[in-house]
Amino acid sequence: MINLLLIFALCWPLCVALAGVWQAYRAPASQRRYLSWWWVSAAWPSFLLAYAGEAQWVIDIWMLGGQWSLDALSRPWLAFTTLLWSFAAVHARGYLAKEQAKAQVGDSSAERRLLRLTLLWPLTLLGNVLLIIAQDIASFYLGFALMTFAAYALVVHTGTDEAKLGARAYLIMAVLGEGLILGGLLWAAGVAQSVLLEGVREGIASAEHGALMAALLWLGLGVKAGVIGLHVWLPLAHPAAPAPASAVLSGAMIKAGLLGWLYVLPLGETSLSPELTRLGEIMLIAGLAAAFGAALYGVWQRHPKAVLAYSSISQMGMLTAMVAMGLAAPEVWPLLLPGVVLFAAHHALAKGALFMGTSISEHLPRWPTALVWVLLALPAVSLTGAFGAGMISKWTVKSALYEMHHESLITLLTWAAIGTSALVSVSLWRQWQQRHAGGSHAAQWGAWLAALTAALVTPLWLPLPEGSVALPPLKEWISLMWPLPVGVMAVWLGGWLTRHLRIGIPPAGDLWWLYAWLAQNVLVAIRGVGQWCNGIKAASVNATLAIEKRVMGRLTQLTAVESWMRHHTSGLMMALAVVLALLLIWEGA
Amino acid sequence: MNAAWLPLTAIAASLLAAVIIFTLPEDARRLRTNINLLAAVIKITLVALMVRRVVQGDEAIFSFQIVGSIDFVLRADALGVMFAGLSSVLWLCTTVYAIGYLEGTANRKRFFGFFSLCVASTLGIALAGNLFTFLIFYEMLTLSTYPLVVHSGTDKALKAGRVYLRYTLTAGVVLLFGVVLLYSFTSEHSFASERGLGDYLGDHRTLLTFIFALLVGGFAVKAAMVPLHGWLPRAMVAPAPVSALLHAVAVVKAGAFGILRIIYDLYGIELSVELGVTTALAVAACITIIYGSLRAIAQQELKPRLAFSTISQVSYIVLGVSLFGPFGTIGALAHLLHQGLMKVTLFFCAGIYAEELGIHRIDEMNGAGKRMPLTSLAFTIGALGMIGLPPVAGFITKWYLGIGAIQAEMYWVVAVLVASSTLNAIYFLPIVHRLWFRVGPAHGHGTWPNEQRLGRLETHGWLLWPTVFTAVISLAAGLLAGLPFSPLDWATRVAVGEYLQ
Repeated sequence: MINLLLIFALCWPLCVALAGVWQAYRAPASQRRYLSWWWVSAAWPSFLLAYAGEAQWVIDIWMLGGQWSLDALSRPWLAFTTLLWSFAAVHARGYLAKEQAKAQVGDSSAERRLLRLTLLWPLTLLGNVLLIIAQDIASFYLGFALMTFAAYALVVHTGTDEAKLGARAYLIMAVLGEGLILGGLLWAAGVAQSVLLEGVREGIASAEHGALMAALLWLGLGVKAGVIGLHVWLPLAHPAAPAPASAVLSGAMIKAGLLGWLYVLPLGETSLSPELTRLGEIMLIAGLAAAFGAALYGVWQRHPKAVLAYSSISQMGMLTAMVAMGLAAPEVWPLLLPGVVLFAAHHALAKGALFMGTSISEHLPRWPTALVWVLLALPAVSLTGAFGAGMISKWTVKSALYEMHHESLITLLTWAAIGTSALVSVSLWRQWQQRHAGGSHAAQWGAWLAALTAALVTPLWLPLPEGSVALPPLKEWISLMWPLPVGVMAVWLGGWLTRHLRIGIPPAGDLWWLYAWLAQNVLVAIRGVGQWCNGIKAASVNATLAIEKRVMGRLTQLTAVESWMRHHTSGLMMALAVVLALLLIWEGA
Repeated sequence: MNAAWLPLTAIAASLLAAVIIFTLPEDARRLRTNINLLAAVIKITLVALMVRRVVQGDEAIFSFQIVGSIDFVLRADALGVMFAGLSSVLWLCTTVYAIGYLEGTANRKRFFGFFSLCVASTLGIALAGNLFTFLIFYEMLTLSTYPLVVHSGTDKALKAGRVYLRYTLTAGVVLLFGVVLLYSFTSEHSFASERGLGDYLGDHRTLLTFIFALLVGGFAVKAAMVPLHGWLPRAMVAPAPVSALLHAVAVVKAGAFGILRIIYDLYGIELSVELGVTTALAVAACITIIYGSLRAIAQQELKPRLAFSTISQVSYIVLGVSLFGPFGTIGALAHLLHQGLMKVTLFFCAGIYAEELGIHRIDEMNGAGKRMPLTSLAFTIGALGMIGLPPVAGFITKWYLGIGAIQAEMYWVVAVLVASSTLNAIYFLPIVHRLWFRVGPAHGHGTWPNEQRLGRLETHGWLLWPTVFTAVISLAAGLLAGLPFSPLDWATRVAVGEYLQ
């Protein structure tokens, strides 16, 4: 039964994508329904699969040998990922309803964009599902690559200049990341002689250069997970992508990088080499730097989605720091893992709801204003950890850290929550400034409300192992809640202080512009070297040709001698005969 | 029974087809087509029979004494059958494609005649049982491809043909010198010897290295290794099916296959490692891989870009050979097949774009995905495979090469592979982007350079179906690499044979 469900879950997105294309070629433009309910349902079978229980599959004929499984880690991951994909699909149906109407009256560019989305959205989803259930390297890499490259269409959807820039940044970083991942996987798998992710883990834990392999994989997967320095695509791509696409990018796909770390890094293994511990410490520092740096930079952004993108970087920084603990302090990892999963799941849904919320504030439904804004603020408050599932997820993480006495990290994470509060309040404030009335599509607000609700009650539906999640005791509530008012106050104070100063808005994408400048200069230099090499080549060819000419000149002179000889043939023959005769005489004598 | 007739008839099928085609009048189009297809199908059947024999552990051998101790030997061993299988399957595809491509042009008799000769010599190279036989077919290949390269008869084509001959004939002389030298002091040139040339190591170390350099240097010209690659980009003036065959199966592969034979079957892999020549070869291959990719980025036309990509990709095979260990060998052998499938797809597509829409330059390809979805899909599959992305076959070989490099403890090779993947992405992804994400003439912006409606579908069926077929096979070879008789499976079989010896 579960086998059938697996096949169905993997084939359904493909069928949906193909059916979309098929009808686009068959039906006349006015009858085409791009984002049909079939299309929306692409993620549903996978969601069911997450609740179908644990299972394992071994498929020998699949690439290098396939092994897929549903276990304590992949089941909750699959559940929250596919749930978010489902909500985002419904949201997209509403969000793009106008575009669809345009396409039906013959706007060919709208038609083209929708067709692209119809095809590549389910493929992106398929890649995401595959990489979650994969336990062998090839399937994981396939899922990751499929998701990465198909998502290009999601980012570039609107086709504006910003979208093109965002998509370019996304693609360049993705290619870079794929290269690093391939290098790390090859190295670790070659040493471990295995085609399974488990083998990679063991290889890294036991090999001499394990830390280097781990670093490659950390950075390669970190492109997706927004590790500081590699995060530059996020604030460029998110504001430009449509809201539902941003929701899955920030909610589900970013988490794929995190899941990759959980799959390939030897987290929680005892007796790790000192280098791996050092790497853990570096990851910890990088994570915290991202958590704080993104907050400090993000609050100055004008576009609410750019602010939210920085919030994602900040949240992923916290998750990076937690994963780093698995290397730096392995004994805490078994306690920390459920917290990490819950944190990731909650962030996925909450961030999804927030991104969908940006489209709600652009088309405010005709509801009481206060109600809408309270609803818009709910996931934000939950994300800061002051309320709902956010509070529980924060507590799950903290209690694990308390137990192993990592109080300083707890303090830092709490301070990072101030940053989160600041970011989400700036985002809401920007949304308020840029709000538009006009009513939104039922699918649009319906999906948003559903995602919001799911985010607030994450622990209720997430298939986590029993007993891994608990409500925080009352006395801890204050320690979890205080970052929210402090963050809001900080924003208010900062806004008040800088109101009279003319502060330019720093561009979204921060380091991207530095990288672009560097790359441009390097390219100019390379081109210069190339021209110089060309010059040398041309010079050497010319020199050789000149030599050839000179040699040929000499040879031509020789032909002149020949023609002289031809002229004096009889004389020469006579002379030769005489010489021969003389020789004979001399020989005879 | 050693079934001597099997390899002989396989070669004779193509040779006979060539002879018959030469005797037919120019306008006997239908008959020529039938003969071509019949010969191709017969050849595939015979190769399939050889495959069955190899699986049963029995090799078909034909041997004929020419003079003294020099024999003409055809031997269908696992490695040879692998190459023969590739050439016969792709020959069928290319023949179908060429029939569609050359529809209504002049000199088709000449073209198909030499085309058959070319395939006969490729098969001879695959099945040659000693260096002497190999050399005969190798030179025959050189001569039979010349008329194909210069087929269009333009000045540019003639010039390219001259350059081609200059390179390959010089290489032939070097090769001959190496073979004669080797034979004169070891009287050994069979590919079937169990011991390789290990016995001569003590006394003739330098000489063996020198001969190795001569032989591999000779083959490296056809395998288009830097700096001996100059002829390949120029030979792009040939018609698309010729480029496809040249790049995927016949010429460059013959060179790579020669290097395979020298290392595995003549010298023996242990001796090659002992001599230290494999490291030098690996370095040369890596330089070629990177250089080819860099030059490809700079190309603005489709076919030259693909040509430089070939230069880069064929060296993967050489690289795999030079990594001591089963994984490197499997990677090399599988890439022999995979690269053939993917490259032939890409060249088919390039030909279709040129014929149907008049596209030669990359910047003319905007939005071609809408006008020609199947062709563009095939191109996308080929391009992704070249980058080494799963699930296309290219990923499998890249994986095995990488693992092979790690196990041979040549870590820098992994860096080269990753760099090459990235460079491949840099020159292939923009094309894919243009095909699918840019607006072009198909969306009402501008016009195609020279559009023709060749068929009821997006183009002529004879052009389209071989392309789709090879694209599907490239995809399947990666996705279902674990199936018996997949390229990977067969490569593993050959490699196991090599290392168990």
